[in-house]
Amino acid sequence: MADWDLSVTVEELGSEAPALSISVTSDLHIGGVILKLVEKTQIKRDWSDHALWWEQKQQWLLRTSWTLEKCEIHADASLVFMPQHKPLRLGLPNGATVRLQACFSGPVFRTLLGICRILNIRHPEELSLLRPLEEKKKKKERDALDEVYDLTEVPLASVSQACLYNGMPAHFADSPQTEAVYRMLSVPQPAPAPELISKQYRAASVVDKAHINSRWLDSSRSLLQQGVQENGRLWLRFKYSTFYNLEPLYDAVRLAQLYEQARWAVLLEDVDCTEEEMMLFGALQYHISKRSLSEPQTVTSNAAMDDLETALLSLEVKLDGDSNTANDMLDNMAAPELSDYLKIFRPKRLTLKGYKQYWFKFQDTGISYFKSKEESVGEPIQQIHLKGCEVAPDVNVAGQKFLIRLLIPAPEGMTEVYLRCENEEQYAHWMAACRLASTGRSLADSSFQSEIQSIRSFLAMQKTHGNSSVPAADDAINPHSLVSPRYQKKYKAKQLTQRILEAYQNVAQLSWNDALLRFLQIWQALPDFGLSYVVVRFKGSRKDEVLGIAPNRLIRIDLGVGDVVRTWRYNNMRQWNVNWDIRQVAIEFDGNVNIAFSCVTADCKIVHEFIGGYIFMSTRTKEQGDALNQELFHKLTGGHEAL
Amino acid sequence: MDDIDAMFSDLLGEMDLLTQSLGVENEPPNAITSPPEEVNLSPGFTDLNESLYELEDNDLDVLMADLMADLNATELKLAVDIENLKVPPSSSASQPPPATLPPAPQGLSSYDASILPSPVSLQGDVGTPSPSHQSPLPPPQHAKPSMEEIEAQIKADKIKMALEKLKEAKVKKLVVKVLIKDGSSKTLMVDERQNVRDVLDNLFEKTHCDCNVDWSLYETNPDLNLERGFEDHENLVEPLSGWTRDSENKLHFDEREDKYEVFKNPQNYYLWKKDKQTLKDMRDKDKELLIEENFCGTSIKVPDLEGALYLREDGKKSWKQKLFLLRASGIYYAPKGKSKTSRDLVCFVQFDNVNVYYAKDLKSKYKAPTDYCFVLKHPQIQKDSQYIKYLCCDDPWTLNLWVTGIRIAKYGAAFYNNYKTAVKKTSSGSAWANRITSSTGSSPSPAPSPSLSAKHASQANGHATKPQPGPVSQDMGMDAPPPPPPPPPPPPSSGSFPPPPPLQTSSLPPPPPLTHSSLPPPPPLITGSFPPPPPLPHSSLPPPPPLTHSSLPPPPPLTHSSLPPPPPMQTSSLPPRLPPQARLPPKPACRGKQPPGPLPSPLPPPPPMDSLPPPPPPPPFPDDATEAPPDFLPPPPPMTSGPASPPVRPPVVAPPPRASFRGGSRNQSLPPPPPDPEFLPPPPPPISISSGGGGGAPPPPPPPPPSPPSGSSGRKTAPPPPRRTTPVLAGRGGGGGGGGDGEEGNFMSELMKAMNKKRGED
Repeated sequence: MADWDLSVTVEELGSEAPALSISVTSDLHIGGVILKLVEKTQIKRDWSDHALWWEQKQQWLLRTSWTLEKCEIHADASLVFMPQHKPLRLGLPNGATVRLQACFSGPVFRTLLGICRILNIRHPEELSLLRPLEEKKKKKERDALDEVYDLTEVPLASVSQACLYNGMPAHFADSPQTEAVYRMLSVPQPAPAPELISKQYRAASVVDKAHINSRWLDSSRSLLQQGVQENGRLWLRFKYSTFYNLEPLYDAVRLAQLYEQARWAVLLEDVDCTEEEMMLFGALQYHISKRSLSEPQTVTSNAAMDDLETALLSLEVKLDGDSNTANDMLDNMAAPELSDYLKIFRPKRLTLKGYKQYWFKFQDTGISYFKSKEESVGEPIQQIHLKGCEVAPDVNVAGQKFLIRLLIPAPEGMTEVYLRCENEEQYAHWMAACRLASTGRSLADSSFQSEIQSIRSFLAMQKTHGNSSVPAADDAINPHSLVSPRYQKKYKAKQLTQRILEAYQNVAQLSWNDALLRFLQIWQALPDFGLSYVVVRFKGSRKDEVLGIAPNRLIRIDLGVGDVVRTWRYNNMRQWNVNWDIRQVAIEFDGNVNIAFSCVTADCKIVHEFIGGYIFMSTRTKEQGDALNQELFHKLTGGHEAL
Repeated sequence: MDDIDAMFSDLLGEMDLLTQSLGVENEPPNAITSPPEEVNLSPGFTDLNESLYELEDNDLDVLMADLMADLNATELKLAVDIENLKVPPSSSASQPPPATLPPAPQGLSSYDASILPSPVSLQGDVGTPSPSHQSPLPPPQHAKPSMEEIEAQIKADKIKMALEKLKEAKVKKLVVKVLIKDGSSKTLMVDERQNVRDVLDNLFEKTHCDCNVDWSLYETNPDLNLERGFEDHENLVEPLSGWTRDSENKLHFDEREDKYEVFKNPQNYYLWKKDKQTLKDMRDKDKELLIEENFCGTSIKVPDLEGALYLREDGKKSWKQKLFLLRASGIYYAPKGKSKTSRDLVCFVQFDNVNVYYAKDLKSKYKAPTDYCFVLKHPQIQKDSQYIKYLCCDDPWTLNLWVTGIRIAKYGAAFYNNYKTAVKKTSSGSAWANRITSSTGSSPSPAPSPSLSAKHASQANGHATKPQPGPVSQDMGMDAPPPPPPPPPPPPSSGSFPPPPPLQTSSLPPPPPLTHSSLPPPPPLITGSFPPPPPLPHSSLPPPPPLTHSSLPPPPPLTHSSLPPPPPMQTSSLPPRLPPQARLPPKPACRGKQPPGPLPSPLPPPPPMDSLPPPPPPPPFPDDATEAPPDFLPPPPPMTSGPASPPVRPPVVAPPPRASFRGGSRNQSLPPPPPDPEFLPPPPPPISISSGGGGGAPPPPPPPPPSPPSGSSGRKTAPPPPRRTTPVLAGRGGGGGGGGDGEEGNFMSELMKAMNKKRGED
């Protein structure tokens, strides 16, 4: 067989170096080519990650036992010999960028598995990679440059389940730098400046949202095949809205990133919500960022030791420690008391009585008041039980107004009572006590102090409302950072603080993890949650319509009205096909319902992947644990390339 | 009935005595009356009597037991209260206040509260009860354990007790009457810690219904024409405390299809827009999928309801139609002329502070467009008010859709979990029911609420939700004081038992003798007798309690029979006080397999001992006790026969041990059992008795055990039985009337007789 020359560019020699030419025969297999090539470079190094890339055909030559002939490579082919793993800049849901080694040769799905292993994100099948928005790139790149977290040095973990070391996967514990990266990954970022939110691109319509979905990479092809270059920029996002088995213990990064994605979805109005919901989201964000400052990541909720046994244990320890009698212990257990002069006002129709001052005493979950401190031994003028009541703040720091509005349930209806405090400190204490009492907890509750603290910081938030720029003190948060631009415009910071504070009441007791989970729950409970839109044209229809792809169903939306026209559930689906030639998706449902459409804003492969992906997600079961059936995934999402 | 009245007044007198004997402080007589008031919902003490009339016989026993237990507890509390806050009965104090705000509902809680702050000192608390405990401790000398250890243990125990008491003291209890479909009613005591599921379980046992998931407890409010089914996870006491004193509200126990309909046919709710036929033809597989999608994910999905409903305008008589939408975060409406996109929606109500009620007949009452209305209001609002939101739907189905949707939004995962639990109950329920019918009854469940002892019992059953080791000790503590008097017996035992006199005395006079013979190692006895200390002793004492148990098991039956004589005494005395325990145990024991139970019985005894040595009284009691639990169960027949009683008890006793007192090491500690074995031999004859007497107990004939343990020679039989019996009694007595043995015994026996009589009449 005749020898012929094959020219191969070796990346290691530099881009300027001429291609090497090696003499081969057609029956030489790829492995042999690589061997010859390496010998010729005379460079000693580890070549094991290298492979041949066929530039013209845009494909990898990964089967080393195939001959050149079988690969149909002739003398005109120009091959490149390069590493399969190269650095990639990855935009995370939290806005940060990490640089890490990713596989450029395998299907994106496998690349993704590798990335998630490095980042320690479980259930990588729920994520995918997409191209960033082009326009943004320029602006963003400037800032992005400095805040790239480098993980390229991190060795690829061979163990699938990373073992924890110091509360983080072992490969992060290597150096202080990587530890910092892990912190960035697993702890939600501080609230963004309001301007940042309003500057971000917001999808204004369903069609805009549909365009985002055209940017997903094809899971079946490699990065290089899809034109992603070394050091290229991609986004990592949760693509399928079914989050399997979220477990705070193992999912620190996953939860944090999911939360970030959800938060941005809310802030950018990617998913619609009502004003009340927005305020609750704001309160949760506030709470979470507070907590992530105070509670470092290892968050074991330090809730009150309800358990008698635990309480006893600590009691005994204490007993041993000092010889105090049990008496003291019990004294300590007695609820702290709160008493002071406050002013009370009962708004009743047609009465304009002012505030009257009394001596107030907080006991257990109720308030009693007396004419004066001296008379507080006797019968109170009145006792107010706060359990189940609504507590609302009415505060104006600038105007030195500190009102607690109580709406107290009684058989005849609700009674309104206002308590007026003199100053912030007094207000913080009484407000905290009222809030606890409304949920049936007494001052003895362990959360009393933290409640006071959080009220103080809310007051601080109001103080700083003047400058809408970046908050000066690090624990002051601009309320405008917690809501979408719509509400930034609608409310002044002061009003917003009030609203968020009201919503905050219901979540103030949550631990960091619980707050995170609550945020995700509320997000997932939004009616529009989990819908990925694609503009399509149904067979036989003349106008564009929107197909919404949800975890359990497809919906057809009339673009004009915005109403849902039809819903098809996957469990009624018999089969779906893609005609790759005419780029049409055809689906058959039970009862002989057939639909077919072509995709306008996204490739039909993307729609195909969405549908197949959701079906794959629904096949996950507890029994199979964390094991991922890659083959099935490819079967369901691969389309013709998988064959 | 007169009898009962008389008994009640007796009881009161008794309590008075008791409290005095407690030495806590002299309490004004009215203090005694007050407790019931607190306990009762609307009624005062007299009401209680009235309601008692209405009770079914079966309930009476239970209730009595509960009451006694409760009285005992309240008594203590009161004493403390009085001591510390010279305030008269707290309940009254809190309510009177002029206040515009109706504190009424809170009365109960206020009284609880008072206790907490009160500077109850450890000593104070523990002290009173502990006398008996302490005495036991000293003896430990036999035990090799180091003094320090023991002391440490004692300390720990005291703390435990004190903590338990503090906890216990705060528990609110209510006596409630539940109306049943057939027009009858059941009265039971519910405590703050019980959720609706627990109460339903009680009712299942009491009514022998089919236990299906539709059974629910719901309240009706005739003032407002409202009704609402309680959710299984809800605490029952809380909403009931919101009722006004003169409330006409009623509590019903009935099947309600809508309770869990959404889980049976989720498609009707989640796919309500589809046509009826498709929904009807829905495959089970698809239904399951719907449930999974909406309830098993990381977040609960609320059916996306939207539609025009009529809203009753504030204060006006007109109803206005609006487009309402249900979201997880609340109900919204779309203002006129605005779109129904999320951002334009106006929040109508959020669910944090309101419950959803079905409203009846608003068409006539408020001129509603239809009769299919629902209402959202704060649970404490009981009268018409501007804070109540009335909505009206076009048809019953829409109404159901909305109410269910709101429940999903409000309760989320808890709602589904309730259903799963209910289903489990149903499947296990039938089996249970069978067992139940055969022997004991329901009493156990109710019991838990009332007193510590009750709890204990519940543990034994296995149901027990709250494993509290402490309770037992507490009981003892409380009971203990009174009992002291009886001690006489000790002397006999002394021979065999070195340390003991005091201890034994306190615990069980009669038994000692027996024990001597049977029990070689004295220590065990001691332990048995002194509940409190036991833990320590156990550990320290070489004699492995467990072993004894094992050996004992077989004997139990025998013992029963053999014991007959002694039992009566014990039974009589104890029954009154610790009813709860007594009842509870029975279940486990009685139910078939448990025959072995008897053996264990010996163990339990210890507690009883403390409580009441006294004795002899009324044999009938025991029977009652045993029977009582079952509610319907067996017939009273045995009552009269003294002998019969013994058998009964054994079963009762037995259960506890088995049931496992996890908390209490005591079980293990109970050495007493050994005696039984020896004892057993003789018993055979008695067996017959047993069968006659205790419905459940009879079976046990097993073998007489090898008298094993260390070969203590002479002592035999007699002692053990008593203990067992005693325990039983103790269990029941719950209440505490330890004071005069004689009196108490008489009183109780009278009560029993009266009850029996009543039954007989029936």
